[in-house]
Amino acid sequence: MRRVRLVVDALAVGGGVAALAIAALVVTGTTPTRATELAFAIGALALGIGLLGWSGSVMAGRGIETMQNHLDTNTDWTEAKSRRAMARVGGFGGGLMLTSAIVEVLASGP
Amino acid sequence: MVSKRYVVKRLLLLVPVLFGVASLVFAILHLSPGDPARLIVGQRAPASQVEAVRESLGLNDPLYVQYGRFLLDAAQFEFGESYKVSQGNPVRQVITTRFPVTIELALYGQAIGIMLGIPLGVLSAVKQDSLTDHLTRIGALTGISVPIYWSGPLLILLFSAYLGLFPAGSRIGSTIFLPDTWSLFGKELPLTGIILLDTLLLGRLDAWLSAVHHMFLPSVTIGVYSMALISRMMRSSMLEVIRQDYIRTARAKGQGTKITVLKHGFRNAFIPVVTVIGIQFGTLLGGAVLTETVFGIGGVGTTLVEAISDSDYPVVQGIVLTFALLFTLVNLGVDLTYSYLDPRIQQ
Repeated sequence: MRRVRLVVDALAVGGGVAALAIAALVVTGTTPTRATELAFAIGALALGIGLLGWSGSVMAGRGIETMQNHLDTNTDWTEAKSRRAMARVGGFGGGLMLTSAIVEVLASGP
Repeated sequence: MVSKRYVVKRLLLLVPVLFGVASLVFAILHLSPGDPARLIVGQRAPASQVEAVRESLGLNDPLYVQYGRFLLDAAQFEFGESYKVSQGNPVRQVITTRFPVTIELALYGQAIGIMLGIPLGVLSAVKQDSLTDHLTRIGALTGISVPIYWSGPLLILLFSAYLGLFPAGSRIGSTIFLPDTWSLFGKELPLTGIILLDTLLLGRLDAWLSAVHHMFLPSVTIGVYSMALISRMMRSSMLEVIRQDYIRTARAKGQGTKITVLKHGFRNAFIPVVTVIGIQFGTLLGGAVLTETVFGIGGVGTTLVEAISDSDYPVVQGIVLTFALLFTLVNLGVDLTYSYLDPRIQQ
């Protein structure tokens, strides 16, 4: 449940940021289509980074933790923390994408 | 024995990795400047013609539609047709014709790296602080430090231009012609495009030797870096292992140095080296891009560079996703190998 909430919270933040960014871009003279495209592409970028980071943490996180302990260079970085952070980044990107798609549909029809 | 659950878990992780790479590539291409339609029709074409091309390519659709379409197609390994690099040809065809060149180069380079790096690393560890160790260390540091775009031309100058020992600029002798198919139990099958393998499938030893000779310089260029890293890793890993109690016990029981090192030490010291070999494969694929350019071998790396500068979205997306898939599969293989070498890793 906590995991779902974490992603939903990030989605909501991404959605809010997307709405604000699109509004700001339109106000400064960018066309609505270009503004939503920009927000969608940045969202896809964040989603990609989040997904890659999340799967990288799952795949190699424990090994990195062990290596840090072994080399005595502990930085308090943990697999669990990294997974949560990456889920937030991915969720934020998803929120940006979702909102910009909705704005695009509302503005110019499906 | 590697457990099925572990393999399935690793295979399932491929999905978010590939989805992530696909999203990244899509985003980067659509955030970068340049209009593919304008590039196809040329700078002097009228706006109406550009618009017609944009419409036919689906570039006028909303970005979320393009994204969804791209993901659906990518899941079926379908990337459409090339806009510019190989205009009108399916990207899948571009990848299947050019990819074997890069794979061949990377594998040959990796083989050289492994064959030289492992024995040098073991030797360096066993003869720690000797002249052999110092020479190996200097060689490894040089190998890691010298970039491909510098070592490549130097090797061509020395071994091809001055000494005339190795040819540069082709994958096989110009007088050797290979058919398109090979026969297995009377059935005609297409060749792989990997010349070193194809010549063996055809049973043409002369052609195989020619390919080994022609591909040697580019493979050494790419393999030296790998060799340097593997030998350094093997040395430090081996040094750690040969100081362990079980090695001392084996020696105390009267076992010879060779057997102790190779039988008891090598397998345990090899685990971190396997990881490095897997990660190195990705670097080798990247290095193949430069090596192909330096040696004038037309592989997928050269095609990728061309496609990026021409904004040929489908080709870039197809090649990057294929690279990602290959890299993750190699790392999956590495994971399975070291979980075989040390079953505790599966826990």
